[in-house]
Amino acid sequence: MATAKDADRIRPALTLSKEEREVEVPEPRLNWMNQWREWGVRVKPGKKGLTLGSLNVGLYGEIPMNWPDRTRNPRGAIGVTGSPPVAIQIKDKVDLWAPCAADLYEEAIQRRWAPATDVDWTAIHPLPDDVERAICQVCTEICQYAIIDVEVITSWQHQMAYGYHEVKQFLATTSLDATRRHEAFRKRALVNGGGLGYEGPCQVSRLLLESRGGWTETVTGLTLVRGLFTQVMIRYLTRFAHNGVERKIYECVTQDLARLLTYGIEHIKYALAHAPDKQGSIFTTLAIGMRMFNRDLRDPVLREALAIIFGGGIPGARNEGMHVFYEMLDEYVQELLSACQYLRLPVTMEQLPRILQKDQRHLPGD
Amino acid sequence: MAKFPSVAWFDAVRDIYNHDDAMHGAGSGTCDCVVGVQVGREFFQLIFEGFECSEARKVTKAKLDECDFYLHMPSKDWRAMLQNIQEHGHATDNYTLNTLDLDRAEGLSTSTHNDQYREDLFFRYNQTLQFFFNGAARLRTTF
Repeated sequence: MATAKDADRIRPALTLSKEEREVEVPEPRLNWMNQWREWGVRVKPGKKGLTLGSLNVGLYGEIPMNWPDRTRNPRGAIGVTGSPPVAIQIKDKVDLWAPCAADLYEEAIQRRWAPATDVDWTAIHPLPDDVERAICQVCTEICQYAIIDVEVITSWQHQMAYGYHEVKQFLATTSLDATRRHEAFRKRALVNGGGLGYEGPCQVSRLLLESRGGWTETVTGLTLVRGLFTQVMIRYLTRFAHNGVERKIYECVTQDLARLLTYGIEHIKYALAHAPDKQGSIFTTLAIGMRMFNRDLRDPVLREALAIIFGGGIPGARNEGMHVFYEMLDEYVQELLSACQYLRLPVTMEQLPRILQKDQRHLPGD
Repeated sequence: MAKFPSVAWFDAVRDIYNHDDAMHGAGSGTCDCVVGVQVGREFFQLIFEGFECSEARKVTKAKLDECDFYLHMPSKDWRAMLQNIQEHGHATDNYTLNTLDLDRAEGLSTSTHNDQYREDLFFRYNQTLQFFFNGAARLRTTF
């Protein structure tokens, strides 16, 4: 509390000198007040509230095919001339756009969850040692995938023009989704007497991290190779969940990943529709991605851990567990080919690595 | 008590779903899609808008075209799923929408239009849809 002595000390500092009192304060010109590109906008909330997409009215809804302004000027505002350019490299709509980005952003915000409090961690119970170790190993690899996702997405985000804020905002939610995925799986690994296991081989991760050619090509790897496989794997983990903790995590993560996949597939679709010549680079990226994925699949650690989970333990891993593992790969292939068909990418089963071809793979014991 | 499948049954489940905040919390939330349900040779349409399932109606097979995706199973499989939900209070093991979709050769969710964006709503809203059908646990269902 200030004392009378303190007040005496402060007062002289607040007392203005004669010169200071005579400093002329100019009359406000307020000339900025009539400088609007469009005034009188009155967006009304709908059933879903006041959504990001609903703000796209009048000139604020004009989303040009090219955004040459390399500043942080928000779309629809009057830019300041002479601003030094920032490191924005992606200035063409075709290189990042997906028409659903604003809706996906709203969906991500609406359907958020918090692993700390939304998962009933008390529902965890001890599992056989082999199963717990297998789950912890899978959690480790999914944590690693999530870290890579964050790093990849954020390394591109700042290069995207502010004229396409819907995409930038949505991608911000995917970074959060990925950090939450990392959080949730790390917590699962450490909550039941286990711990983190081996780092995975990560050939696909390296491809994603080193992808510098274009965001569309990076999205191809992020979506069709890593994302789709992770989603199918987590859907299978849901099927074999041991408790409500795992089930809740897997279910929420499936939804989070589905949004990223939707953005990715819709972006590739948009890119192919407006720049058909991109098909070559997308196809090549996918082919390289498949080779990297094939190398990752040669590593036995994830395969064995999943087989133990699917088989209910080491004894069941060799037959039932591996059978489900390959069934999971078949599901991934089905989803991949379905997405490629939707995108009109000429990908066939024969072009995929042999381990992904049901009729070509060699099962243990064959 | 309501007979499955019927509009009355779906309305009763809608009422449970629309008034239980727990079904709209973490990982769920707003949901906007048109879901078709095929039970044997009967067809229904569920409209999800924001936090509610606003309408259930019986439709012809042709109306499945208007659905973002539809869930299809023979009557006996729907019955098994609902009995599992009633027994446990929610779907377990092989009776969740996710597992039914994985286990069935033809899947559970499909569409007539092959529009992946609309089909993927099944995954984006999976928990909401599961909550909706889990609502059947609080309803006496006859078949």
